[in-house]
Amino acid sequence: MVTETVTMMDPAGLQAIGAALAVGLTGFASAYAEKEIGTAAIGAMAENESLFGKGLILTVIPETIVIFGLVVALLML
Amino acid sequence: MLKPKQMSRAVIVGHKNILEETVDALHKANLFHIEDFNEDDSDLKIGKPFESGSEVSKKLVKIRSIASLLGVKDVAVEKQSPSEICSQLDSSLDKLDDELEILSEKKRVFETELKELGSSKKDILPFIGTDLDLDLYRGYESLAVFAGHVKEDIGPSVSQLTSSYELYYDQHSGVVVLFVSKDKAAEVSELLARVSFKELKVPNLSGIPSGLIADIEQKEADISKKIEAIDADIEALKLKYADFILASNEMLSIEVQKSEAPLRIATTESSFLIDGWLPTEQYAEMERTVNTATNGRAFVSPLEITKPDIKKVPIEYDNPKIVSPLQEIMNLYGRPTYKELDPSALIFITFPLLYGMILGDIGYALILLIMALAIKKIVSSDAVKPLMNILIYCQISTLFFGILYGEFLGFPLAAYHGQPGLLPGFDTIDLLATPFPGEVIGFPLHRSHLVMTFIVATVFVGLLHLNLGYAVGFINEKRKHGISAAIFEKGSWFVVQFGILLTVLGYLEMLPIVAGIVVFLIGVVMLVKGEGVKGPIELPSLLSNSLSYTRIIAVGLSSISIASTVNLIAFDMIWPPGSPIGGMTIFAIVVFLFGHALNTALSIIAPGLHALRLQYVEFFGKFYEGGGRKYDPFGYIRKYTEEK
Repeated sequence: MVTETVTMMDPAGLQAIGAALAVGLTGFASAYAEKEIGTAAIGAMAENESLFGKGLILTVIPETIVIFGLVVALLML
Repeated sequence: MLKPKQMSRAVIVGHKNILEETVDALHKANLFHIEDFNEDDSDLKIGKPFESGSEVSKKLVKIRSIASLLGVKDVAVEKQSPSEICSQLDSSLDKLDDELEILSEKKRVFETELKELGSSKKDILPFIGTDLDLDLYRGYESLAVFAGHVKEDIGPSVSQLTSSYELYYDQHSGVVVLFVSKDKAAEVSELLARVSFKELKVPNLSGIPSGLIADIEQKEADISKKIEAIDADIEALKLKYADFILASNEMLSIEVQKSEAPLRIATTESSFLIDGWLPTEQYAEMERTVNTATNGRAFVSPLEITKPDIKKVPIEYDNPKIVSPLQEIMNLYGRPTYKELDPSALIFITFPLLYGMILGDIGYALILLIMALAIKKIVSSDAVKPLMNILIYCQISTLFFGILYGEFLGFPLAAYHGQPGLLPGFDTIDLLATPFPGEVIGFPLHRSHLVMTFIVATVFVGLLHLNLGYAVGFINEKRKHGISAAIFEKGSWFVVQFGILLTVLGYLEMLPIVAGIVVFLIGVVMLVKGEGVKGPIELPSLLSNSLSYTRIIAVGLSSISIASTVNLIAFDMIWPPGSPIGGMTIFAIVVFLFGHALNTALSIIAPGLHALRLQYVEFFGKFYEGGGRKYDPFGYIRKYTEEK
């Protein structure tokens, strides 16, 4: 006879996984976007060094994605 | 403040024979931003440089090459009078050039010699293992000599071929020297080929290799000493002439600038015409200067600034000295245009404020404050000073918020709900309950225990900042396109926000919900009229922009986490409280110092960049265009020379 065992997941654990996914995935997204912008910014800087400031600013723009992720994670915990 | 300096456009006209005096006077005044002349269909032509120009630029090239050869650096020196330099320029320059030429020629000869010695040393070195007189390698009638590298000892295989041979093998370097009679030479070389023999060239010298090497090393040491002596001479030359080089470089640069000025000026057969800009308040001063220099023979007349010209007006900031470091932040983005409000004075307040809100730690504030003050004192560079001043402003704000948050290097200063703080007897005072469970506003504010409250509060900070941006945008728009454009383009945003507020109140059943929706729709209609289709598309940015300010708490919390993790590792894991002082104490202190050094560096970068981004993207996006031209007056700021 086969007995069916019901396993319960700890809600707190699921919450923690959710928070981790929120930060982790948005972190990846930011990194991917910043990689693209960063490469272009370095390229532009090689042509004209005075673009450093603008390049830096453009590169941190996608940082918002991970900030939102972090805020969502904080809301979950 | 809040506005670039008012500029006037002026034209200076005169006869060509007073051009030099006029250019001299303008250069000395350092006021007039010359608008470069481009040749067009008219009869005006670009002027020709003054005759002295080519001579002066030759000298300038010479002095600059000497300066780079000697490595003369920009340092503060006593100011010299140009007339004195002028009188001794030719003789000193020639003398300096000759001396330097002789020294560098000598140095070159010695360096070549050193190189030759090095290469012959390299040739002899393989023979040092066998250490036979080099004369023994040549001049035989019946003997063949093989010298070279092999992979293994060939003694046994050679002895199978012949018994009359002499073999020297240095196991260490793998060099073999083999003497055999000539009739066996062919067989031996075949044998050698099998063990991958690489022949060595015997140097054309006589003597024992070890003795030769010792000789060469002696010579090398002698020459190195001589080169050092020459270097010392060059250094002495540099010390002696550094002032002269800096001063004459500056003087010649000025001369070249002046003599090339006609290339930027329109001329006819016999007259010249200089077009340019200057601050309005200094117009009279410049007119007077030009008149005195030319005895009133050159005419300065104002020119009306036409509408298409407004984009070309060079921009000079007009800010109090305390605000001026923030101009660097403006320059990074782009100077304001002429009709635009200059936000330097606004970001003078908002930038340090946001930075302080993010970092908010007494410990880091003090470390960075001391660092910034020290760097400002030590480094005299004009590029570094404004940055250090900005850092100081930011740290003052950080110190204020640090006291408000009660944080010191990640440690809470006050006890909180039973958890002890750094200062004994200092307990958190509860002041105000928040709608969020477990979060009570008090003094000091424990950020890590008030996350939800702070998220909401920072969004409100964001809304305030954004609305400041819309207000500035309203003023800009009014100046450029009149009041109605301002109301529709920027005022509509206020209406939209007011509508949202009323709707929220309606949702809370304090008002009929319809009122809010109606106001909101009116706002949207105004927006469409003001900005076209683009307007409603930008509506969600209201949400994303204000949520973006939650980074204030998010980045702040990450900084706290790093700091308290360092503290935890150092004083809880490595050296737990109560354990005796020993080797682990030192280790804990090292970890503590390194960890906080890292976080200090991050404390400049992370809050700095995020505060900057909030200015550039969220705040400036609401009103700022930028892209103004820099006001760059024709002249020179003398550092090494002084005009009487």
